Amino acid sequence: MGDEQSMAETASLLPLKPAWFHILLALADGAQHGYAIRSLVEERTEGRVKLWPATLYGSIRELSEEDLIEALEEAEDPDDDARRRYYRLTPRGSELLRAEADRLQALVDAARSSRALGRA
Amino acid sequence: MSASTPLTARVMLAAYRALARLLPGTFREMYLAVTLDDLRTLLEVEYGRRGRWGRALTGMRSLFDLAVRIPKEHWNERRNRRDRDHTLEVRGMRMGGWERMSNLMKDFRLAARGLARRPGFTAIAAVTLALGVGATVAIFTVVNSVLIQPLPYPESERIVNVNHHAPGLDLPDLQASPGTMRLYRESATVFAALGAFDDLERNLRVGDQLDRVEVVELTPSMFSVLRVQPRLGRAFTDDDAAEEATSVAILTDATWRGRFGSDPAILGRTVELDGVTTDIIGVMPAGFAFPDPGPVMLAPLYVDPEGAFGEFGMAALARLGPDVTLEAARQQVTDLQGRMTDVDPGITAGFLEQAGWSVSLTPMRDALVKDVRATLWIVLATVGFVLLIACANVANLFLVRAESRQKEIAIRAALGAGRRRLAASFLSESLLLGVLGGALGLLFAYIGVQALVAYGPSDLPRLYDVAIDGTVLAFAAVISVVAGLLFGSIPMMRYLGGAFAALLRDGARGSTEGRERHRARNVLVASQLALALVLLVGSGLMLKSFARLRALDLGFEPEGVLTMTLSLGEGVDRADAAQFYQGVVDEVRGLPGVTAAAATNSLPVRPTGMNGGSFRLEARPTEEGELPPIAMFRAMSKGYLETIGIPLLEGRPMTTSDQSGETPVVWVNETFARAYLDGDALGERLSFADDGDWGEIVGVVGDAREMELMDDIRPFAYLPMLVGEWERFTLSQMVIVVRTAGDPLTVLPAVRRIVREADSTVPLSNARTMEVIVSEAMASTSFTMTLLGIAAMVALLLGAIGLFGVISYVVSQRTREIGVRVALGARGEDVQRMIVRQSVGVLIGGVVLGLAGAFGLTRLMGAILYEVSATDPWTFAGAPVLLVLVSLLASWLPARRATKVDPVEALRAE
Repeated sequence: MGDEQSMAETASLLPLKPAWFHILLALADGAQHGYAIRSLVEERTEGRVKLWPATLYGSIRELSEEDLIEALEEAEDPDDDARRRYYRLTPRGSELLRAEADRLQALVDAARSSRALGRA
Repeated sequence: MSASTPLTARVMLAAYRALARLLPGTFREMYLAVTLDDLRTLLEVEYGRRGRWGRALTGMRSLFDLAVRIPKEHWNERRNRRDRDHTLEVRGMRMGGWERMSNLMKDFRLAARGLARRPGFTAIAAVTLALGVGATVAIFTVVNSVLIQPLPYPESERIVNVNHHAPGLDLPDLQASPGTMRLYRESATVFAALGAFDDLERNLRVGDQLDRVEVVELTPSMFSVLRVQPRLGRAFTDDDAAEEATSVAILTDATWRGRFGSDPAILGRTVELDGVTTDIIGVMPAGFAFPDPGPVMLAPLYVDPEGAFGEFGMAALARLGPDVTLEAARQQVTDLQGRMTDVDPGITAGFLEQAGWSVSLTPMRDALVKDVRATLWIVLATVGFVLLIACANVANLFLVRAESRQKEIAIRAALGAGRRRLAASFLSESLLLGVLGGALGLLFAYIGVQALVAYGPSDLPRLYDVAIDGTVLAFAAVISVVAGLLFGSIPMMRYLGGAFAALLRDGARGSTEGRERHRARNVLVASQLALALVLLVGSGLMLKSFARLRALDLGFEPEGVLTMTLSLGEGVDRADAAQFYQGVVDEVRGLPGVTAAAATNSLPVRPTGMNGGSFRLEARPTEEGELPPIAMFRAMSKGYLETIGIPLLEGRPMTTSDQSGETPVVWVNETFARAYLDGDALGERLSFADDGDWGEIVGVVGDAREMELMDDIRPFAYLPMLVGEWERFTLSQMVIVVRTAGDPLTVLPAVRRIVREADSTVPLSNARTMEVIVSEAMASTSFTMTLLGIAAMVALLLGAIGLFGVISYVVSQRTREIGVRVALGARGEDVQRMIVRQSVGVLIGGVVLGLAGAFGLTRLMGAILYEVSATDPWTFAGAPVLLVLVSLLASWLPARRATKVDPVEALRAE
């Protein structure tokens, strides 16, 4: 699969589904396991976005299929003794996250430069 | 953890687990455990934060979330499986037949959707194709029914027509005679059965109704030749065909139903045939037709078993014996010709050699259709060309479409779609379009066949048989599929061969398309123009042929002449008959508007039942062993030559006393005088009888086309109805010709009245003007000309459309460039010239190819051309001029549009 192909496919995934965006964002600073992702997201959005288990793991599955995140081998969570699977961004995933951030930024710029929001 | 899990939590988890069973198995395998873990933790945390109610709420919301998620997971599952299959296939793993089939269905469904999304493109392509397919299928229907399908008799390919030829006597087609029949009956072992037939008209009286009907007389052996038997009653026996037998007849099924109301007691009923009481002894099965559906009944044919060698004109058919090859039969009959002296001692080997004598056996169907075979194949080839042109147009449309889908193709290819899949998707669309065009074309063909049968030349053999059958449907299916594959493979070859990388570059910006892109389209358009030119040349030649025919000097004046047939029936006394006809003619002459009237026994240009025979010249007796001279002749009443418009060049016209027949007198045409009497015929004496009185030549008339329109003029003699003791004419029926000042048909009712008053039992039939008869004789040529002309026009139109489309597309692609040029100061005419120059190359190519093709192909038309060379220079010069004019017009329009390009818009547009 070449550069061009992935770029074409990447482009077709924008704009990102909200759940995806939040999960990718949560993994931006390092690998996390599922529950931690949920916590991070809830925290970051000040409680507005709650990723319930089915949606969370369904989205994690989708992101894995799309090669945007990948699972690390199971490691012990130092906080409890249950084995949890950790996930991290793939290069493609981080590229996509960046693309989405750019897109959102562009939207914000456009909004701010319009009369409705007053010139920035 | 689990030990201290409270009841509510456990209930929640149990409920969750139960609901989670609806998730797809794969998801459950991978994520269920961790999902439940998370949920447990969640419930705990919530309880810590917000207590019991918080926990309950969390549990509810989780359940709800799960419920909503379940269908999504199933959907994802299905999509993953499909992608997996795709990947597997791309990697070359073999698919089961079922998957291959479902891929095919997917392709076709996608193709259908693709076509439906662009209704304009689909409609144009389908209609163009349908025109080509429709025309081809319609003509093929005729070819199939007339040339290919066997005749409706068992093993009809084993029935042969027996024909004799004497080119040395200027008698190329003699058919058979009682003498030759006797020879084969006695000595030939290759025939299982041998029979003869005659197709003629008789007066039929059923009760009070009197009609002139078509009757086929045949020998009893014909039932064995054709291997047919009546459905009711019995066939003819040899007794029925004896000279003095009681008259019997067998009805066709249509007659029994129509005329006799399917009377169950039909056997034994009597009718009157030419005044003779006739018993109905049988009814033929439905669908029986011999020689075509025309005759209403069958009657026995008497053939004199001791009959003369020389009484030719008898149509004879034979069925080959079992295991006898056509070759063997031909060999045997040829050998038997040497035994002709057994039949008639006067027919020596020397005589036969002088006459260039030969016998031929032709399979019945071939004999029937030989005159039209060349025409039909030529017309089929012509519409085949039109189909090719239509395919070229559609191929061009596909090429344009493929170009606009470059990006999509490139991405699909890069994503791993194998060549085969891409090809499959191209081809599925074109195949679907082919089938669509084919189905629509079949509808056009059906309409076309109806028109052909209704308006086609009436003397096209087996025209009544023309119908769409299984063979035609199979042909239509095959050419639709082949056409679909053909124009689908052209863009496919263009785009799958090249490097994908080149196409992936953003092609919209930058310079205009490379020359390579154009080449395929240009070649297509050039081929279209070439094919159109071939058709133009072909139809031009036919047009010239027809013009030559029309300009033919008939030697008589058909305008303003009415003809009709009066029949007194067989066995009428000749003197009485002659008097009757003369009386009618005299009365008709007295009608207002009638300038001349006469009677004769057949008509020029339509020489059925023409008389001919050998004669003796008093001044030049025939030497021993020499062939006697032969001429055709007709009977006429006084005033015939004036009525029909044949000029009298020497001598005198016919008088009333000539009509009495006491002293035979003769008129001859110029060709006769030149051929036999060195141009000095007046006063010479000849006789058409073996013995008996001489007749004097009292007049020489101008040559007229007495035989087929396109035949050479032959020596011809004109005799009165009664000619001494020559007894040449039976006078059972005569044709009355009437020349009028105005429209000839206006006197018809008056003539009918005269005939009715003279004898109410005499039917008057076949009332037609001479002009109609002459144009019917040209009907076959004019019909072919019309068909080829239409085909050429359609081809020209399609070719022009093709050129127009290509140039338009080029203009739209080069809008930017044109804008730049105009901005830099180019004028309208400069732009126009630039565009038109584009098409000149294609045009030149097309003309050169077309002329070469025409030169090679038109020589195949030789058989149907009249007095026109297959390489006629005027036509070969004129057709390209027409093509160039039309093509320039077709490219002028988009060129004009190019001049209207606004440079600012062009430069800004993308």
